[in-house]
Amino acid sequence: MNGVKNLVRLTAALALFAAAGAVQAEPYLAAQMGLKCAQCHVNPTGGGMRTVFGNTYAQTTLAARRLGGEEDLWTGQVMKFLSVGGNARANFNYTDVPNQDTTNEFAVEEARAYLDFGVIPNRLSVYIDQRFAPGSATNLEANIRYWITENSIYVKAGRMYLPFGYRFEDDNAFVRQLSGINMQAPDEGVEFGFETGAWSTQFALSNGTAGAPEADEGKQISARTEYAASVWRVGVSALSNDTDAGDRFGAGLFGAYRLGPVTLLGEVDYFDDDSIGTGGRKLMGSLVEADWKVLQGHNLKLTYEWLEPDDDVDEDEQTRTSVLYEWSPIQFVQLRGGVRFYDGIPQNDQQNRTQAFLQLHGFF
Amino acid sequence: MIIQFNKLLPSRGIFGLSVLMLASCTAGDGTGLDAGGRPITPGPPANNDFQQIQATIFTPSCTGCHAGANAPQGLRLDAGNSYALLVNVASSEVPSLLRVNPGNPDNSYLVRKIQGNASVGARMPLGGPPLTQAQIDLVRGWIAAGAPSSAAPVDQLRVASTIPAATEQAAAGLSKVTVIFNNDVDSSLVSSNSFELRDASDRLVKAEMRVPAGRQNVVELITPQPLAAGSYQLSVLGDGPAPLADEGGRVLDGDADGKPGGDLLIPFDVKEEGSFR
Repeated sequence: MNGVKNLVRLTAALALFAAAGAVQAEPYLAAQMGLKCAQCHVNPTGGGMRTVFGNTYAQTTLAARRLGGEEDLWTGQVMKFLSVGGNARANFNYTDVPNQDTTNEFAVEEARAYLDFGVIPNRLSVYIDQRFAPGSATNLEANIRYWITENSIYVKAGRMYLPFGYRFEDDNAFVRQLSGINMQAPDEGVEFGFETGAWSTQFALSNGTAGAPEADEGKQISARTEYAASVWRVGVSALSNDTDAGDRFGAGLFGAYRLGPVTLLGEVDYFDDDSIGTGGRKLMGSLVEADWKVLQGHNLKLTYEWLEPDDDVDEDEQTRTSVLYEWSPIQFVQLRGGVRFYDGIPQNDQQNRTQAFLQLHGFF
Repeated sequence: MIIQFNKLLPSRGIFGLSVLMLASCTAGDGTGLDAGGRPITPGPPANNDFQQIQATIFTPSCTGCHAGANAPQGLRLDAGNSYALLVNVASSEVPSLLRVNPGNPDNSYLVRKIQGNASVGARMPLGGPPLTQAQIDLVRGWIAAGAPSSAAPVDQLRVASTIPAATEQAAAGLSKVTVIFNNDVDSSLVSSNSFELRDASDRLVKAEMRVPAGRQNVVELITPQPLAAGSYQLSVLGDGPAPLADEGGRVLDGDADGKPGGDLLIPFDVKEEGSFR
């Protein structure tokens, strides 16, 4: 009887959310489990290659059920000193823009591979994140990470994603657009990290060019610190970029709270950017997210975002509301579907579009 | 003093209130704003393709990310920066391509990026709907016309770009050299008195010169046979008995010294069949 109810519940959810885009807000998993990002990812700021724990979690806890025997447990370690991982996402996207024909398409959203050479186990690693699709192969991360003291203090140098707020994998989230720190725009520099008890802190010094060659002497400083208790967590971020085009300062507050099967996340960011326009702009963005673990392997996600592109201009705000469902029938496979409603000024059709997607996500 | 952070656990009420506050923010109604979300200011309407591209594509669809010091790949597409960072600037993602290659839309990174060609990575706008065919055609047309920054009258006639560009190694089989000007040229002055193509031995290479229909700012030199591999030099002459001038009679400023006259010299190479760079 429960099976029938569950099937009805799932069917109703899929019917509601039938039909592109990308929504990968994995920080909810850490909040749901009361863990830090470093527990599941080799990168202490989250995202990318998974640790042995992360791979085990994906097989034993995230998925509705697991195929294969105990001896088939994938850990990512293919050799003593080498671990591999990857993500591939194939989409069917539907877009409706007012006053335009609707479009739909099949698209490879991304295919990435990760390599982590643990030259000195638990201390020294060389890490590579390479995107193979769409387009030609592009290196997104290439860095050396050295744990000065095992599992507590590290230094990382090379190309990397910078620390700021929650690392949502949805690069189109307003808070990710606002900071310009996302999975499409790595920067080159050096990062220091401190993982002590419930604290996770990172401090980075980088070119501040979002992947472009350095054009001036100024550098960017970005930092975040988070305190993660078992049920709740809270953190702050700050960023300062000194460029010839103008200085840019940002600050953010983020946190999460677990209420039984529902996990709430929130982030608010503020930027004072003198490098935009003639007089500079003050911008704000926020995101609230609720993730409901309906059943093991099933997650219903609701998000609401708000963007203030210029605090000195009235009535230019935008919102985005998303509803999606994630089903992990077996380990390393997710079927995801969702719809996003954009709401902005009426004279801009793009700001009032509706996008929907179905996605097959494979990862390891 | 040890801080007991668990004692500072926020109540559900406080957290719920914060969520409600964040969720209560709504979209603006756009009063007094243009399509880019900027206050409407009195001024002349867009008077050329680039201004139209800026107003209808870059500002409303691209500057959400491509603005300010942290614009992806350093590409700022706000009105004050877009032209200088696009035209004749190498793409940082695919350095072998110019972001905008004047006169050559198919070999412009921008066009490939908005068309979604697989060779240049994810289609733009990232995560958003593709540009309409009419918008893509507007960009292509602007680039095909030489990517002029303004339709306003110019003080001097100058060469905006050439295909092949100066010092470029063109592919084998090249039989057309294209010169794009910043203004429409007087086609009656397009002759061997205003253009010369010479090979490495300084021999004149025979070529037919023409102004394509509807593209009065472009001159094409067509050779009867594909050019053999080797070095060449194109000269666009602002001196001599019948120097090139625009329709307003302004003589070519070939040496770009701000005064009429002077020749522009463009050396380039043609690669051998099957050779690789």
